[in-house]
Amino acid sequence: MPTAGQKKLLEELKNSLTQAVPEGQVEDSDYTRTGCHLEVRLDQGGMRRVAKVMLDKRFYLETITAVDFIDHFELVYLYSTYYQDVFRVITRIRIAKDATPFSVSAIYPGAIWLEREVYDFFGIRFQEHPDLKRIINPDDADYFPLLKNFGKTKFTEEIDDILC
Amino acid sequence: MNITQLPYIKDIFAFMGSDLMAAVIGLLIIAVFVPLNVAFLVLVERKVAGHIQLRPGPMEVGPHGILQTLIDAVKLLGKEMVTPGMTDKVLFFLAPILVVVPAFVGWVPISFSPIMQIREMNVGVLLIFSFSSISILSILMAGWSSNNKYSLIGAVRAVAQNVAYEIPLLLSTMSVIIMTNTFRMSEIVNAQSSVWHILYQPVAAIIFIIATTAECNRAPFDLVEAESELVSGFHTEYTGMRFSLFFLAEYTNMVIAASMATVLFLGGWFGPFFPGLIWFVIKVYFLIFVVMWVRWTYPRLRFDQLMNFAWKVLIPIALVNLLITAIVLKVI
Amino acid sequence: MLNIKTIDDATVNQRVYQLNLGPQHPSTHGVMHLLVTLDGEVVIKIEPIIGYSHRGHEKMAENRIYEQFLPNPARMDYLSGMIFNHGYCMAVEKLCGIEVPRRAEYIRVITSELNRIASHFIGAMDYAMGLGAITPFLWGWDDREQILDLLEGIAGSRLTYSYGRFGGVRNDIDQAFYNGTRRFIDRLRGRFWDYENLINQNIIFIKRSKGVGVISKEDALTYGVTGPSLRGSGVKYDVRKNEPYSAYPEFNFEIPTREAGDCLARYQVRMAEIEQSLNIIEQALDHLPPGPVRSKVPRFVTPPEGECYLTFESARGAVGFYIVSDGSRIPYRIKVRAPSFSNLFAMTKICPGHFLADVIAIFGSIDVTVPEIDR
Repeated sequence: MPTAGQKKLLEELKNSLTQAVPEGQVEDSDYTRTGCHLEVRLDQGGMRRVAKVMLDKRFYLETITAVDFIDHFELVYLYSTYYQDVFRVITRIRIAKDATPFSVSAIYPGAIWLEREVYDFFGIRFQEHPDLKRIINPDDADYFPLLKNFGKTKFTEEIDDILC
Repeated sequence: MNITQLPYIKDIFAFMGSDLMAAVIGLLIIAVFVPLNVAFLVLVERKVAGHIQLRPGPMEVGPHGILQTLIDAVKLLGKEMVTPGMTDKVLFFLAPILVVVPAFVGWVPISFSPIMQIREMNVGVLLIFSFSSISILSILMAGWSSNNKYSLIGAVRAVAQNVAYEIPLLLSTMSVIIMTNTFRMSEIVNAQSSVWHILYQPVAAIIFIIATTAECNRAPFDLVEAESELVSGFHTEYTGMRFSLFFLAEYTNMVIAASMATVLFLGGWFGPFFPGLIWFVIKVYFLIFVVMWVRWTYPRLRFDQLMNFAWKVLIPIALVNLLITAIVLKVI
Repeated sequence: MLNIKTIDDATVNQRVYQLNLGPQHPSTHGVMHLLVTLDGEVVIKIEPIIGYSHRGHEKMAENRIYEQFLPNPARMDYLSGMIFNHGYCMAVEKLCGIEVPRRAEYIRVITSELNRIASHFIGAMDYAMGLGAITPFLWGWDDREQILDLLEGIAGSRLTYSYGRFGGVRNDIDQAFYNGTRRFIDRLRGRFWDYENLINQNIIFIKRSKGVGVISKEDALTYGVTGPSLRGSGVKYDVRKNEPYSAYPEFNFEIPTREAGDCLARYQVRMAEIEQSLNIIEQALDHLPPGPVRSKVPRFVTPPEGECYLTFESARGAVGFYIVSDGSRIPYRIKVRAPSFSNLFAMTKICPGHFLADVIAIFGSIDVTVPEIDR
C-alpha cells in the first residue's frame, strides 16, 4: 500500500513522464497483480526520453527484455529505485519486427549489456549502441533463440497432447 | 672393515686426499637426503595445512597418509614431460636442471654439528648467497622460455622481488658478521656458545626470516606463483619431473634458509641435553613450521605492497640496525 | 589505485598486452573468461566474455508447463538455489493469485535464509581465497557444510533444491531440522570470533581490500548494481525491506550497509548479513505458526492471461522473474533478471587502473555466479 508521500511522488513522476512522452499512455498499474506501479505504453520510440526522466528521478534500470508476439516485438524496460519503498515503472514499447530502436546506453551505461542480450536472443538491432554484438550465444551463431519460430520442439507438442 | 683401507681404493683415496672424500660422501648424503626431506616436508606441509583448516589432510596411503608424498613422487616420475609448442626448447629444458643446483650446493658449507660439515670455507655464508642467486636465473629462464604470459609475469615478478629482498637479507646478515668477524659457519656458531645472536640482534633476525621467506617465494610473498592470479606462475607449463624439480628446489631452499637462520641467529647446534645435530634439526624444523603457519594464515601481498615493504620498511630498518651494530662494536 | 596515464596509441601498441583470465582459471568461479588489457601489471581495460555455461533456461521455460520448470530456477544460481526456487514459486503464485499458508511462508523464510548464509560464506571466503588466503575458505566451507546437511534433510538435495511448490513447500520441517538449525545457530555465533581473528583483523587482508574497487553510488545507479555490492556502497536497498515479500515484514532485522564501497565494505556487508540472517531464522523458529504447509492448488496451474514481475533478494542482489502468460499451461515468456549480470558489468567500469591482483579481488568481492549470468 503506497503511503501519502509515495502517492505524491507517483503523481509527480506521472506528470514528468506524460510531459516527456506525450504520445504514449502513462497509466497506473495494479501492484498486487503485476508488481509494477506505473505502466508506460509507447509505439515505436521514446525510450530515451523515458530513460532521461527516470535517471533524473534517481531510478535504476532493472532490466531490458523483449517479448516476441509473432507479428511484433514488445520491448520491456523495468525501472525501480533504491530510495523509495516499492516503486516500479514498466515501459512497454511496441515495435515492428524489423525496427531498429534507439539504445539507452548513453543514459544508463548498464544497458550496454542488457541491450546486447536482447539483440543476442531476439535479433533487435539497437541504434547508436557502442558495441552491439552477441553476448551469450556463440559469435558465429546464425539464429536468435528466443524467437517463437526457433526450436519449437517435438516435446512441446507432446505436452500439448498429454495435458490438454 | 673400513672401505677406505681396501687395496686400490686406499691408494685412490690417498691420491685424491681426504677433502675430496668428504665431498664425495657429503654429496652422496645430500643426494639421498634432499629428495627424502622434500617428500617429508610436503607431507608435513599438507598435514599442517590440513589441521589449520579443520581437516585431517591426506589419510589414505599408509598410516595417517605418511606415504602419500612418496606415491606422488612416483606418479610425477611416471608422467609425460610435455614441452609446449613455440617454446625456447633449450632454456625450457635447462631451467629445472639449473634450479636444483643451488639446492644441492647450498648444503656444502653449512655446519650441522661440530663434526658434521662437508667443507669448511672461509666464505661459507657468501657461497650460499651467491649460489641462491642462480635459482632466480632459472626462474627467469623458465618464465621466459615457456611462451606463456602467466609464466612471464611470474618470472618478472620473481626477479624484482629477489633483487629487492636480497638487500635486507645481506644487510641483516652483515650485522651478525660484524659481531663475529668471520664468514666461516662453524665459527659463527661457536661465537654463540653462551648467548644466541637473536638476543643481540632481534631486529636482524626478524628481517632475515622475512627476507628469506620472500627469497624462497613462500606465502605471503609467493607472488611468483600466486595461483589465484597467475595459475601457477613461472612453472605453469611444466609437467612431470620437471615440475617436481622446481618443487624440490623450493622446499630445499626453505631448509637451507632455515639452516642459515639457525646458524646465524639461533645458536646452531648449541642446546642442552641432546647432541648438537638433534638441536640443529629441531631448530630448523621449528622455523619451517613457523613459515608454514604463516603461509596458511595470511593472504598474499599485492606486488606494489611487496616492493614497498622491501624498499620502504625492511631496507631502512636493516641499514639503521647495521649502523647501530657497527657503532656499538667498533667505535665504543 | 593508480591513475591511468594518458598515453598515445603508438605507445599503447608497444607496451600493452592482453591476458586471458579463463575460461579455465582458478579464480573465475565457474567457466568465465576475462579478457584483460594490461600495461605491465596495471589494468587498462577488462572485458568479461560470458556464455560458456548457457543452457537456455528462458527458452526451456517456453517449452514446459509451469510445474516442469520448477527445477530450473535453482540451477540458474546454484549457490542460492533455494531462494530462486521459492522466488519462482512466488512469481507463479502472484500470477495465478494463489494464497500460501503462513507456516509455509515461515518455512520458506527459514530455508531461504539458511541458503543465504551458505551462499554468503562462499562469497566472502572465496574472496579471501582470491587474495591468497586458503584457510578461511575451508573454514567457511566447514560451516556451509552444516547448512547443506540441514537442507538435505528436508529438501533431499544438497545444492539444487526443488523444495518449493506452488502454494507452499513440498513437506513440513521435522524435529531433526528444527533442533539442527538451533544447534547450527549457536555453533555459528561461537565461530564469529574465529573469523574476526583470522580475517577481519588480518593486516594483509585489510591492506589488500581497503580502497580497492570502489563502486560509487552514481555508478551503482547507472549500472543497476544490487545486493551486498550495492549495500557496500552505502545505499540501503534490500528487496526484503524495500519491497517486502513472503513473511519478511513480520521479522525484525536490519540492513547492514557500509559507506566505503570498496572490497572490504562488500566483504563486511556479507559477514554482517550472515548475522542478520541468523536473527531472522531464530525469530522464525520461535514463532513458527501451526497449520498446513501447502494450500489446495490444482495439479497443473493455469494462470490467467497477463503478466507479472516479482523481485526477491537472492544472495547476490535483486532477482526478478518477469512472466508473460497467454492463458495456457505453458508460459509464454519468462525473463529472469540476474543480479550478477549487472554487477559483473559494473566491474568493467571499476577495474581499470587497478593491478592484476586487484582484478581477482574485485571479481571475488562482487561475488558473481556464472551460471546465473549465462542462464
